[in-house]
Amino acid sequence: MSEREIWLSILGITLATVLTRAGPLLPSRDLRLAPLIQSALRYAPACALAAIVLPDLLLTGGTLDVSVANPRLLAGIAAAATCLFTRGTLSTIAAGMVAFWAARWFTA
Amino acid sequence: MGVFAWGLVTGLAMVKSGLTLAQAFGMALLAYAGSAQLAALPLIAGAAPVWVVVLTATVVNLRFVIYSLALRPTLGTGSRSRRLALGYLTGDIPFVKFMTLLERGSLPAQRIAWFAGASACNWLAWQAGSILGIVAGGAIPADWGLALAGTLALLSLVVPLCTRMPVLAGVLVAGITVVVAHGLPLRLGVLLAVVCGIAAAVAVEAHLRPEGTAA
Repeated sequence: MSEREIWLSILGITLATVLTRAGPLLPSRDLRLAPLIQSALRYAPACALAAIVLPDLLLTGGTLDVSVANPRLLAGIAAAATCLFTRGTLSTIAAGMVAFWAARWFTA
Repeated sequence: MGVFAWGLVTGLAMVKSGLTLAQAFGMALLAYAGSAQLAALPLIAGAAPVWVVVLTATVVNLRFVIYSLALRPTLGTGSRSRRLALGYLTGDIPFVKFMTLLERGSLPAQRIAWFAGASACNWLAWQAGSILGIVAGGAIPADWGLALAGTLALLSLVVPLCTRMPVLAGVLVAGITVVVAHGLPLRLGVLLAVVCGIAAAVAVEAHLRPEGTAA
């Protein structure tokens, strides 16, 4: 990306922050959304995050890599298991990074 | 503390995906959107078009539409500019705390002041973490693989949500779609996966809910 495109992206993300957080507070009249739209809004973030996270863990150089030789997959499994028990961001990251470094060390 | 660490990881991730110092500071101070920033970074590093980056960040931010609709009874009064400022400062943790206290009826009478104070603390912790991450990022060798920490931070947001069936279905469908469609140009596979995931989640929700008991 060029310098200009990166700044455009930053400004666009800023606009998205303002619109999603403050936008619904601004109109003074009554606001009500259709149930279908409310459901879609509820599930959108989890789906978007999954679509960002999973390729990072499952793909190596653009191809599917589900094997013990993929340290990022092992890190993701360790992190997800930890997260199920602790619900904490810090412990999840710590468990994943330790698994990642250990897996790399073993396969190196 | 959690917000500080989260900012730290995002600050590190920004530097590690090749943003300049000015760009990283600009992103932290303006965008103020942890998970949306982390989600945008791999797309920026992968040279996706600007509109795909912005659209993806918007989708990740959509939970705030739900939050601010829930906050309308409290924050929907007062001047437009105050609503704009309070809305902009909304963070995940102050929101969840605020709603929990509100339901228990244990908020002080000055609700708006409480919310503004909690949001300001959240903002400060976030920015302090981000700045430390940006500054320290250059000193950490690339082969530590710390970019993975950003991915794991996002993972820690998704996993607790997956205990509900519709979310789990949406996440699985989105995951399968994004892997199958990763060859699409312009990183469009991400957006396609989000749409398929949402459709699956909504379908499962409709299937689980008996007729006539709409939420």
